[in-house]
Amino acid sequence: MSDLFRELGQHLYDGDAPGVIELTRKAIEQGLDAREILNAGLLPGMERVGRDFKDGELFIPEVIVAARAMHAGIELLKPLLARGAGPASRKIALGTVKGDLHDIGKKLVGIMMQGAGFEVIDLGHDVPPERFVEVVSTLKPDLIGMSALLSTTMPMMKNTIEAIRAAGLSGKVKILVGGAPITQAWADEIGADGFAPDAVGAVECARRLL
Amino acid sequence: MREEASVNGRERVIAAIQRTSQDRIPIDCWADKEVTDRLVRHYGVADKEALLTQLGVDLRYVMGPSYRGLQMRVHDDGLVEDHWGVLRKPMTVEGTDRVGRAWSWTYQHVHTSPLQSATTVAEIESYPHWPSADLWDYSNVRQECLDAAKSGAAVVNGGDRLDRTAQLKPAMYLRGTEQFLSDLLLEPAIAECILEHTADYYLSYNERVFQAAQGAIDIFFMGDDMGTQTGLWVSPKMYRRFFKERFRKFNELAHRHGIKTMYHTCGNVTKLVPDFIDCGLDILQSLQPAAMDLEYLKREYGAHLAFQGGVDIQDVMPNGTPESVRAHVRDRARMLGAGGGYIFCTAHNLLPDVPTENAVALFEAYKEFGA
Repeated sequence: MSDLFRELGQHLYDGDAPGVIELTRKAIEQGLDAREILNAGLLPGMERVGRDFKDGELFIPEVIVAARAMHAGIELLKPLLARGAGPASRKIALGTVKGDLHDIGKKLVGIMMQGAGFEVIDLGHDVPPERFVEVVSTLKPDLIGMSALLSTTMPMMKNTIEAIRAAGLSGKVKILVGGAPITQAWADEIGADGFAPDAVGAVECARRLL
Repeated sequence: MREEASVNGRERVIAAIQRTSQDRIPIDCWADKEVTDRLVRHYGVADKEALLTQLGVDLRYVMGPSYRGLQMRVHDDGLVEDHWGVLRKPMTVEGTDRVGRAWSWTYQHVHTSPLQSATTVAEIESYPHWPSADLWDYSNVRQECLDAAKSGAAVVNGGDRLDRTAQLKPAMYLRGTEQFLSDLLLEPAIAECILEHTADYYLSYNERVFQAAQGAIDIFFMGDDMGTQTGLWVSPKMYRRFFKERFRKFNELAHRHGIKTMYHTCGNVTKLVPDFIDCGLDILQSLQPAAMDLEYLKREYGAHLAFQGGVDIQDVMPNGTPESVRAHVRDRARMLGAGGGYIFCTAHNLLPDVPTENAVALFEAYKEFGA
């Protein structure tokens, strides 16, 4: 069994989606628990991708194809996971702030969060403060992750935090910020709960906050 | 302002590239239109050219040939189709700067990538919108360059953002960022096909531009983004496999016409600098100081490569004070200016979130420390 999981993790690491699908099916057919396939097979593979990405061994293409392979496996597990009674995973809603269409950094954060077992709600880009507020009140994520690539759009993070506060929701959710021009000092200034300089750091930061 | 009669901007820039002695560090000016207009008003000059003269700017950018292809299609929902067939959406950002002044800024972002769902090389090959060098009218090129050279400045040709020679960028526009990056690993033949079409177009287009200019272009300017804030988009190995030889061809083409080359890339590209040098690049542009160790670059590669940029637009220019801008400029001049090989400039455009007082402080500090 552990060999099967190890192999599954390796296919994921290599970005081999057909291999991941085949082995996930095999694990399901063997009657293994879906949550265990996820936690012991897929996610450790993705965690290794994240580590090697942070260490400069892997680059964005490798992360993207590994994430696609992970998603292929998760799709097969989804119906089974929904039936199971496992602990609910932590939820993060991610979005690039209003006025900014840059997406890839935020997507990498989503990939690493999923790889770490978080449920990720990707709100896309050009997300206005009202949308973040709506998501916090309706979907009740544990965390909000905001991204901005431009110095011109980063002030929108402040507006969003103010909107969340004005809606009386500031105690309900932790707020993470990131993106090229973002610094810890900026996060402190606008009252964000956390900042990370890269996607793997964002996961570490999220874990610290929860 | 401090223009010495004996040395003009062009000579100053060439001397910097050759790392020979010069009267002062040459200066370039990268600013968004709104910031340029504010500076024009601040200095009380007539227009942008007068501003550049007033500030002693040593380079002039020409737009190159004019587009004569089919008119760019504007769709009902405001989306604009560019000459690659990529749909773009105008984005307007509004805000207030550090001193409370309201600003607004519009840029064109990719909305739809037309080759996103192609699954075969044949589909890529038969794409009807591959641009052709015939889409452009080159008859104005030489005169435009000669007009720009009247100021005595070095003439830079690089088109605007959409027709500036690049590889990764147009491939991402056409195929979608994630899909193209995935292709590099899983569908390398598709990636190759896109890159080959793109490079063929740029090589034939630039050949025509250089011929039309008849020696009036000093610097050929390319722009791509190979770096992120912390590292490279793709591994050095992948860069060498897919991008390096085409980049070499771009440099060789310019050099055959006696033109120096300048390459813009955002982000931390430190690991690719030896490859850029190997391809014959003359000037590396951006030097985003929050992403790269500029001291290291200067020390390791300064003997083989000139630099342009290095002034931080991510924090110092929009969020700093005139005093911190001045200190920043002093550090750039000392660190990068030593021994030549440096053209003073911001790492990217000054955008509307930069307070006018900071933009002015930048140019005033240059006067103080650029000599």
